[in-house]
Amino acid sequence: MPKRIALKDSVEVDSVDLSDFARSVRFTSEHDQVDVSGFNPTGSNEFLAGQTTQSVTVEFFGSYGTGEVHATLYPIHKDREVVPLAWRPDQTTPASATNPELRGNVQLLQYGPGGTRGEVDTFEATFITADAAGLVFETTPLP
Amino acid sequence: MAVTTYKVTGPTPFQGHKPGETFDADLDENAERRAIARGSIKKTPKKKEDDSDA
Repeated sequence: MPKRIALKDSVEVDSVDLSDFARSVRFTSEHDQVDVSGFNPTGSNEFLAGQTTQSVTVEFFGSYGTGEVHATLYPIHKDREVVPLAWRPDQTTPASATNPELRGNVQLLQYGPGGTRGEVDTFEATFITADAAGLVFETTPLP
Repeated sequence: MAVTTYKVTGPTPFQGHKPGETFDADLDENAERRAIARGSIKKTPKKKEDDSDA
């Protein structure tokens, strides 16, 4: 896939297609940097990759209709539910090697919609992994 | 496998199915509960099978 302008991304939360209600997505995957340095002649530090923390932050438009953003996210947060999340760059084509889909089971620990007079109602929601499988880029469509 | 027929009732696609479409699926119990509660889908009677296989 060449360079792209993000326009056609697909964002699904709990199987609901919220693409039209989202305007940015950011996936983060980070291994802890564990210091295993010992005494050595150069004084250099030595690190190993430790625990992995993954999350996806989505900026949503606040929307309160049936089956929309609030109706999808708030119950997940309130009831501490674990739900599937999926994101891929191009919603018009299925997941493939050139259109990988990030998938995993997530939780929504914080939920904070709001509003400012005269401004577009948007807020960020950060989903964190909820099981050992983590968030993985898949290159084949779901069956 | 308990396949159920659902209709997408909300304004947003559900599992790749557009609003108004019906689909058969074996949804996880909790996923079904959440989806129905938020108005994404509803259970619908299964379409009558064509049993004229004579």
